[in-house]
Formats: sequence, structure tokens, C-alpha cells
Amino acid sequence: MRLGFIRFIKLLIASLFIQSSWSFFSMQAMGFLFTLYQAFPDRARRQEIFRAHKGFFNTHPYMASYVIGAVVRAYDRGERSDEIIKFISVAQTSFAAIGDQLFWQAVRPSLLLAAVVIGMKVGSGFTGPLLFLILYNLFHLGHRAFGLWEGYRRGRDVIYLLKARRITIPQQTAECLGAFCAGILPFLGLVGPRSFLIIPLTALFLYLLIRRYSPVLIILIILVILSVSIIFMT
Amino acid sequence: MNVPAVVFLTVLSSILILDKYAIGEFGLSQPVIAGAIIGWLCGDLRTGILIGSVFQLIFLGGLPIGRDIPPDGPGAGMVAVGAYYLLRPGHPYETSLIVAAVLGLFASIAGGALEIMIRRNNEKLYHLFVRHENRFAVVHLGGVATAFVRGIMLFLPFYAIAALITRPFYIPAAAPDLLVVIALSVGLANAGYLFFKKRTIIYVLIGGLCGLALFVL
Repeated sequence: MRLGFIRFIKLLIASLFIQSSWSFFSMQAMGFLFTLYQAFPDRARRQEIFRAHKGFFNTHPYMASYVIGAVVRAYDRGERSDEIIKFISVAQTSFAAIGDQLFWQAVRPSLLLAAVVIGMKVGSGFTGPLLFLILYNLFHLGHRAFGLWEGYRRGRDVIYLLKARRITIPQQTAECLGAFCAGILPFLGLVGPRSFLIIPLTALFLYLLIRRYSPVLIILIILVILSVSIIFMT
Repeated sequence: MNVPAVVFLTVLSSILILDKYAIGEFGLSQPVIAGAIIGWLCGDLRTGILIGSVFQLIFLGGLPIGRDIPPDGPGAGMVAVGAYYLLRPGHPYETSLIVAAVLGLFASIAGGALEIMIRRNNEKLYHLFVRHENRFAVVHLGGVATAFVRGIMLFLPFYAIAALITRPFYIPAAAPDLLVVIALSVGLANAGYLFFKKRTIIYVLIGGLCGLALFVL
């Protein structure tokens, strides 16, 4: 059996909804089953898949397509469900870890930082946000489509892609872009006599982040600093 | 109270927030993008991008890893931008901006709590899914509906509060600058936490020189 264009498109569209019904109990299990069902219209196969995978599934939403592609191939080749479950349990955590590092900690924040810098200083209007939308969507949709394709082509060997340059190079490039934009950032704040506050406040927030204080506490501290400063100014 | 504006902003924000996790995750719900969209639709793109940028910097490091649900940065950004446009007709610029920012910060905490609640509620969808396997598509896509309802539950009260604030009060003219300084500090701390490594220090320095050149020019 081949992946085929129609099947590929159905899987790609369904994978966009993988987190729709995310819950603490089964996480992306429903989304994973929903996506797999698109590849197998016959009822008997669906019931087999349902029995095998109804419990739990969680990985990075953009990297899920690599696992899905490999699982569809395994079912097409008639492999046993317990073997497929073993592969999924290893692959989901590995792709989750790499996806978090690549997308949540590198590509997305660096492109957003670039959009903020462009929006606040360099350009005007939609330039920054539009640039972010184009680059980010090209990158993650490309990964999703490529992941499905390569997952199906390589089967279980898709796991070896985790060390591929197409994953490590974008991550390093995004980190460099993020560092570059971070260098520009303090100069966006040179707007008034209170600009010197950037140094102590950055040190304070960096300390809170490094010591892993709760994000809610950081928000409350921002509110307190804002309120106290306004009272003093008044 | 401007009811049509509140309804319009609530529905628009609830649609945009679906992008956070329910559909696609295309980046449309990120504060700077949503701020630009809401600002453009409300006729003041520049302020929309400014408020969106402020919230983007504050929530740059909120990483939704595993079971961790950080405060709702996208929701906060949308509340702040929408509240600004609801406050602006009856208040000076500084008052509208600061009150909107405060509402946005509280919305981030409320949004995080609501997200936990909705995701617990999704467990019921899972049990429905197990019982009614033949209706899997309806049950799974029911998660999109719960995400939309979460949006309404988050945005409607905050926009209503913003629309109900009619009594003018004094906020110093320098307060918006201070808000930008605080946001840049949090953004810099977030960027430092994410990107400052031995091999990226050179890029920080190059960025600093470019920033200085931009400032001087």
C-alpha cells in the first residue's frame, strides 16, 4: 500500500487538530486516533487501532506527524499492534523533547522577538507580524508535511532523523537570531528618564526565571512594580 | 456600555484563541500578531502592535511543555488590546493603556486557571469517545467547541469590565514609558534565559551594536 496524495492530505489536515481535545488524562490520544482514522476507512482496521491506542499519547504537536507517518506505514505492512505500541512509546517522548527545544525554545520565541523588534523600531504596520507569520508557518507546516512523508518512507527508522542537520541547524540559527534581537532589545527602551531601570529589573526577572519561580509570581511582581511606580509618580 | 463592541471583541478573540492549541497553532494567537489584527480591525494598528509587543515580551518564555500550563499569554495580550479600544473613547491615552495592561495581566492568571478547567473537562470527552467510538469525529472536534467556550468565559468578563469603567481617573503621562521599560526588562530576561549561550554571545554583541546604531540614527 502507498501513502498516496489524498491520504497524505487527509492526514496532514487531521494532524492540525491533534491537540483539539487535549486532556490531562489521555493528552493527545483522541487527536492521535482521529488522525490515524483518516488513513484507514475500513471499520475492522479502525477497531484494531482503537483497541491498541486508546490509552495515552503525547508528543510535540508539530513533530507528531513523524510518528503518525511511521505508524501508518507499520499498519500498511501488517505489523503487530504491540510492536507498534513499543515504537510509539519511545518515539513520542524523543520527538516531544526535540520539538520542545526546536519550536518552543528556539524558532517561535526568536521569530516573535524579531517581530517585536521590527514592530517597535525598524518597520511599521504589519511588517513584523507578517514576516513572523510567513516564516513560522512555512517552517512548521513544512515540518508537518515532511514529517508525514519521511515517517511513512522510513518507518521506524524515522527516529534517526532526530539528529539530522535539518533539525539541529534551524535550532542553532534561531538561537543566534534570538540572541541578535536580544542585543537590540535594550535600545528600544531608551525612551525616557526611567530607562536606567532596565538593568536592575532585567537582573531581577532573570534571577526569578533561573530560580524557576512561578510565572504567576512574576506577573504579580510586574503588577506591584507598575502600581508602586505610578503611585510614586503621582 | 458599548455592547456591540464588547460582543464583537469577545467573538473575535475567542476565534483567535482557538489557534493557541485547538486548531493548527499557526501563531495567530500570539500577542503581537493578535494585537496587530485587533488593532487593524479597530482602526489603530500602531497601538495594537505596541500593546501586543509589550505582552509578547512578558510572555515570551511561557513554554507549554508536557502537563505544564503556564499563564495564558495569548489571552492576556488579546484582553489588553481589546480593553484598550473599549476604554479609549472615554479616557486619556495613558489611562486606557495602563488599565488595559493591568486587566491583561489579571486575565493571564484567569486564563491559565480556565485552561486547566477546560482540559479537565475534556476528560469527559475522552470517556464519551471510548463509549461512542463511531462518533469519534464529533467528540474529538467537541474540543474545539470547549476551547471556544473557554474564550468566551475569559474575554467577556474582562471586556465588560473595561466597557463599564466610565469614571475618569488620573494616570501620570510617563506611565506608558514605564510599562515599556518593565516589558523590555522581562523580555530581555526571557531572551537571556532562552538564547544566551557561549556560542551566541557574539550575536548579542552584534545586535547591541546594531541597536546602538539605530538609536543614534
